Amino acid sequence: MKELKGTYIKDDNSTYKMMNNLLLALIPIILFSFYKNGYIPYAQNKTNITGLFYPLMFIIIPAFTSYLTELLWHLFVLKKRGRELLISVKSSFSIFPGLFLGLILSMNTPISVLILGSIFATIVGKMIFGGFGRNILNPALVGMLFVVILSALNLTNSGGYLNPSEIDSLAGATPLSNVVNGIGSYTALVKPYGNLWDFFLGSIPGSMGETSALLCILGFIFLTVKKVIKPIIPVLYISTVFISTFAIGFINGLGIWYPLFQVLSGGLMFGAVFMATDPVTSPVTRVGQIIYGVSLGILTVIIRYLTPFPEGILVSILIMNMLVFILDRIGFKSRFKRIYTVIPIVSLIGLLSITTLYIGNSFDNDLEKLTVLSKETSNEITTYVVEVSGYSSVIKAEIKLNSTEVVSYTILEDDDNFYPRVKQTDFVNDLVENQANLNDVDTVAGATISSQAIKNLLINVINDYTNGEGYNYSKVTDEETDFVIESTEETAYGTIYNVKKNSYGGDLRLAVLVSDGIIVNIDVIEQNDSRFDEIYNNDYLNQIIDNQYDLVALDTIGGATESSSNLKQAVIDLLSSIGDNDE
Amino acid sequence: MSIGLKLSGYKKAAKDKLISIYNKPKYVYIPLINCNDVDITVLVKKGDYVLKGAHVGKRKGKIKFPIISTVSGTVIDFVNMPYLNGEEVKCVKIENDFKEKSIENKVVNKIDKKTFLNILQDNSILGMGGAGFPTYIKYSTEKINKLLINAVECEPYITADYVLLKEHTEEILEAIDMIMDINKIDEAFIAVKKTNIELLKVLNNYIGTYLKIKIKEVPNLYPIGWERSLIKEIYNTSYDKFPTEKNIVVNNVSTIFAIYEALKYNKPLTERVVTFTGNIVKKPKNILVKVGSTATDVIKEMLGKEKLKDFNLIAGGPMMGTLSDNDLVITSNLTCVLIMDKQFERGTECMKCGKCVDVCPVKLTPVLIKNSLNNMERLKELQADRCMECGLCSYICPAKLPIREYVKEAKDKIKRGEEV
Repeated sequence: MKELKGTYIKDDNSTYKMMNNLLLALIPIILFSFYKNGYIPYAQNKTNITGLFYPLMFIIIPAFTSYLTELLWHLFVLKKRGRELLISVKSSFSIFPGLFLGLILSMNTPISVLILGSIFATIVGKMIFGGFGRNILNPALVGMLFVVILSALNLTNSGGYLNPSEIDSLAGATPLSNVVNGIGSYTALVKPYGNLWDFFLGSIPGSMGETSALLCILGFIFLTVKKVIKPIIPVLYISTVFISTFAIGFINGLGIWYPLFQVLSGGLMFGAVFMATDPVTSPVTRVGQIIYGVSLGILTVIIRYLTPFPEGILVSILIMNMLVFILDRIGFKSRFKRIYTVIPIVSLIGLLSITTLYIGNSFDNDLEKLTVLSKETSNEITTYVVEVSGYSSVIKAEIKLNSTEVVSYTILEDDDNFYPRVKQTDFVNDLVENQANLNDVDTVAGATISSQAIKNLLINVINDYTNGEGYNYSKVTDEETDFVIESTEETAYGTIYNVKKNSYGGDLRLAVLVSDGIIVNIDVIEQNDSRFDEIYNNDYLNQIIDNQYDLVALDTIGGATESSSNLKQAVIDLLSSIGDNDE
Repeated sequence: MSIGLKLSGYKKAAKDKLISIYNKPKYVYIPLINCNDVDITVLVKKGDYVLKGAHVGKRKGKIKFPIISTVSGTVIDFVNMPYLNGEEVKCVKIENDFKEKSIENKVVNKIDKKTFLNILQDNSILGMGGAGFPTYIKYSTEKINKLLINAVECEPYITADYVLLKEHTEEILEAIDMIMDINKIDEAFIAVKKTNIELLKVLNNYIGTYLKIKIKEVPNLYPIGWERSLIKEIYNTSYDKFPTEKNIVVNNVSTIFAIYEALKYNKPLTERVVTFTGNIVKKPKNILVKVGSTATDVIKEMLGKEKLKDFNLIAGGPMMGTLSDNDLVITSNLTCVLIMDKQFERGTECMKCGKCVDVCPVKLTPVLIKNSLNNMERLKELQADRCMECGLCSYICPAKLPIREYVKEAKDKIKRGEEV
């Protein structure tokens, strides 16, 4: 009689309709995955016909595995038979754990691991809790956790997240993995993958279903209109990450591209719309959902910046899944007492601010990495051309000094967003005028960090000049450090080191004879430098041998700065590597 | 902000029809119950001849509310019959002599408050919206300054109040005016749904005569006709137990019409308009039914042509009504008899979509209540006893689970727990 009680009209919506709509929302994503990971590599002849359909198989196989696992579970563990069996499997929506697992994994995951993952997701993530509606953790994410642990090595060995067409052109795993070593710049984070539009559309590396933000947003709209998901969760999740990374970027002088990059990468959109809103594992109360969404955002930011794991969605959602029962407790109390709404929201705003400020400012210490591009002295005036690459910007400047003071300071280039503000003021001239008391020169209001960086640059150059040491000669740019000892030969006179260095115009090869740690002779084996004649004209090779104990102080040749500096650097590199070996 | 959900009305069918009449049942059954209180002193015995309006029973305790015979005839038996709360209740079975002989038909010309209360009590006037609360008690309060006529009828399918107000607009307005006069009330509102445009037109034709009566349009939401939400909507205030705390009296339109007949003709409450409808009824009707008739008799007589069989009979509307036996006794607090097919969708597991939480007008968390049925402490925390049984949680549930029944169970548990 009980099931006959209740209301005698019902809303049109039903669990079946909701699940069908969910599947419908996923179809464009599946098709896009097929297009991106199957069709494009195939069209570029980077894969065969199997590779063309592989992405579809990659999604269908785990979905089918889940279904089969559950069927067997219902048959043997729950002992369901006949019609009852069919109904119970049907009303358990068993394809989803596997389907989602396929979508959130990299296509380089071995199929065997994928299948094991689906079985694990279905059994451990869902069935042992009592099946549909009773699980605490998101089954697909449980499966993913299993796969990540199982195949951590395999994943990196087999191409990470790159599909066959991306593997040739891109080096990193996913865009976000470039963030781990510092805050990064547009050039490092976005450029290698195109522009933000590519991130939005989804033509970037990533897991099967996660890359297209556009399709996730369309899915979100569809699912919200169809009343399938709890829309407040993804909205707050994404907003929190956006606000926090906007502030982190702002503190470090990065523009609006930075938070956009953060929310468009790492499967955040997919995770927020499809995984965080899994009804079974998310709170039922409004306040619970608010706390859940914001906490997910904060956790994701913390994981992305403060741990070695670049993406943070998986772990954030699993952690919050475990806290849902507490959130709902707060949630239902908040319906009777306002204080239960106010306290969590105030605490979350506080936590968000603290986390953001902490992370935002944690990059400041590393701001100045001074690179001396050239240092020339003529007529008592030393001219430095230096570069500082902070996380926020690259500053290139020319500074002229004589023995007593800074003569001029010119910013050649500064791509900091706030530099135009500094440029409007007399700040740089003020620095030159007050060089004796640089600490008293106030930074520019509204562009504090940018102006501070300009000031620090000058301080560093003055230090470099007065100390008479190469401030940063060991930290020269990449192509200059590209130094290799190709071979060594022991002779009666000493050891001959055949070294190679990337230089102006091409490779520079030297044969350097070293006896008892002292350079005896340098022969140039190969050079592709049009200015190299100047080296011979100035007898620069002998100058190097003569000044080998203080090479840093040896001046380069005017008119062949690059060539001479490279040659000198090659010898410095050699000496330091011999020194290292002796130790 | 108004709380509630827009439901499909299913009201079209019964709206433009006139009120049919069914007042000649062979037997009437008078349930000895009022406001779920069955502690009634029986005032008649088998073989007694009773007049229409004669008291056949009276509530014990403080509220001496009479239960009246609705026909003249002979008491032939005491039987248990299904009542609208889903339970069997002891009834006085009276064989109708069709003479409609009433007790003293003395019409009072000048009515003061005391006489007014006596008339309401003697004629067994009660809340006809469903609660059945004796109306005279509401008016016993010293100071009343607001009268609210509830003509919202927010539950789908039901149109009894709608047709009554539309066909008897003048009488109802006159009754409101009389009540205001007697109780020195200076302001009355008639709450009508915005979407009832036809009804609003009719009301506007007559309202000009009565300067103190105003029409309040309310949004088409369920359960806005519930006393608490209606008062919240119109006066933006809330009360603890009764609206009279805020000097407000709320009456249903049908009750007002009953008051009209009592004041004007000293006529006891012996019949009421009931909507007979349902998803398998082709021509639904609003029927003026003799109180005490059985649903079977009414359906046979009035809807006989439809050859209805194998249906679920529901006492009340589709949201708050109770599944009942076909012999359901029509009482003065029954608004609707619903005849529905027996198909029910099979439920799925609850997937915690939270829709029941979103719709609950009293801010409960039905899904958590359902999951905490064995945890008394938690049920109290969840305040399950605040449930008003509007049924929105069951209505909205995509898993088609009878959530309201779980909450009701929790509510009963808490109430029982407190009594122990």
